[in-house]
Amino acid sequence: MRVNVVAKDVMDPLGESAAAKIEITAIPPKINKITYFDNTKPNADIILNTIKENLKIDSIDAQKPAGAPATKEQIEKAKKGDLVILALGDCGSCTTWVILDAIRLEKKGIPTISICSHKFVEYAHSLAKAQGAENLRIVEINHPIAGLKEDEVKLKSEEIIPSIKKLIDTN
Amino acid sequence: MKSPKINKDNCGCSIEDLLNENIEKDETRLCSASTNDIEVFVDPDVEKVSYQFYMKKQTDGLPIIPPTGERVRKFIEFSGLNKNDLIAVLSPRSGKATVEKIAINSVMAGCIPQFMPVILQAIKAISHEKFNLPGVNATTHPVAICTILNGPIANEIGINSGAGCLGPGNIANATIGRAIRLCLINIAGAIPGIGDHATLGSPSKYSFCFGEAEDENPWGSLHVERGFSENESTVTMMALDSPHNVNDHRSKTAEDIMDTIINTASVAGCNNSHVPGEMLIIMSPEHAKTIADDGWSKEDVKKYFHENALVPARLADRGGRKLDSKWIHEGNVPITRKPDDVVIVVAGGPGRHTMIAHGFGSGSQSVTVSF
Repeated sequence: MRVNVVAKDVMDPLGESAAAKIEITAIPPKINKITYFDNTKPNADIILNTIKENLKIDSIDAQKPAGAPATKEQIEKAKKGDLVILALGDCGSCTTWVILDAIRLEKKGIPTISICSHKFVEYAHSLAKAQGAENLRIVEINHPIAGLKEDEVKLKSEEIIPSIKKLIDTN
Repeated sequence: MKSPKINKDNCGCSIEDLLNENIEKDETRLCSASTNDIEVFVDPDVEKVSYQFYMKKQTDGLPIIPPTGERVRKFIEFSGLNKNDLIAVLSPRSGKATVEKIAINSVMAGCIPQFMPVILQAIKAISHEKFNLPGVNATTHPVAICTILNGPIANEIGINSGAGCLGPGNIANATIGRAIRLCLINIAGAIPGIGDHATLGSPSKYSFCFGEAEDENPWGSLHVERGFSENESTVTMMALDSPHNVNDHRSKTAEDIMDTIINTASVAGCNNSHVPGEMLIIMSPEHAKTIADDGWSKEDVKKYFHENALVPARLADRGGRKLDSKWIHEGNVPITRKPDDVVIVVAGGPGRHTMIAHGFGSGSQSVTVSF
């Protein structure tokens, strides 16, 4: 008698990724205008204003929702800059849409720098990677940002300016 | 040695026949119908598999049914689709939700194959752009995904739309929502602390699935309101806070009941108070009857709620993002953008309670799909 014993294996519940690789756009050597893309999270405007004051480059101010995608019109406005700086990812949905909107801009050939708090930066990188944009530029700012006074936010913002300058100068 | 019994009912491979054979003396094969005389399937150790999946962050923490090939096959067969058919791509991880992957997670959740059509449509619905699954999954807000069933399918699978329908005790209510959650964890990547960043999470993330008690709805049910026929089955997916009870045993008029509901709903600190959006009202049959008997249509209820559910702007502006001045009217912010943001279903058993659940503000829009 031949007896075949078959252990019933369990199957893998994880879904494969559907993402295709996205090329990150190089920052041009000469930047005429930077778009500061504010998602209206508390104190995001202070971070962006501090960067703006330090970089002293012509700018465009644009806004987008925190927990949802920017509208087509908002993306179109942001696209007018040679570089878009997005803030702020300091929660789950706002980090998600800072990164996903940055990727939307990168796909249109606009270079971006996303600012996320250190509590969410690991997620920001993993999300970018899952979307095929592993090399997306993400700058880390010390969490928390919300609930702080203006001076405290300015201080934290000044700490990240060298990283932003480095990203711009490298290119 | 006895001759193998081969007839239409028994090919001779049954265990009783084999046990009666003296296999020591003669190793001649018993049956030519199979390459083996007997095939023994060993089910995996349930506790061990469940724990291994848990350790890999592939469960919601509750025990799972091991997703063996045989179990998964039954679910795929019931769907009538091919295992590799792509139902949706789920964010934030861009995971491919194929029929097979959804079936695996549904087996794990404890579903029966008959739930597959509901789960497949639910997955399709939440992948709609306006649902904003990337935001819903990743937010620090405790937003859960609610599944509401309408039409014949609700009766066919025996979903509870009566007493205790938001609570425990019914396999469809308990496992359909759970299957969707496991798909979110394993396909979308909404693992708590990794892809799901809810500060506190929500007990509603375990299931939150129920049917509308259509026979008790004096106005016409949700799917009919949304343009489907009564005989069509639909699934409506909403991103919501956990429901909050509204206890009103004493009001005798539509206006009085609505005022109690509105006062319970008009609070600062919900997402709707700084970014107005949808709101679910799960009205008990007794409340609905009192309101309808007072001559109010569903549109009246929606309009009255929208116009009166207001939060003072000075409180609403403390929400998660800067309050847009366009929402402020005479110092107040409405918690819905328009009357149709008030989503009304009738469900539950006897008693004078209604439940309300705030949405994810303007960050997500509910989606209804038919079968």
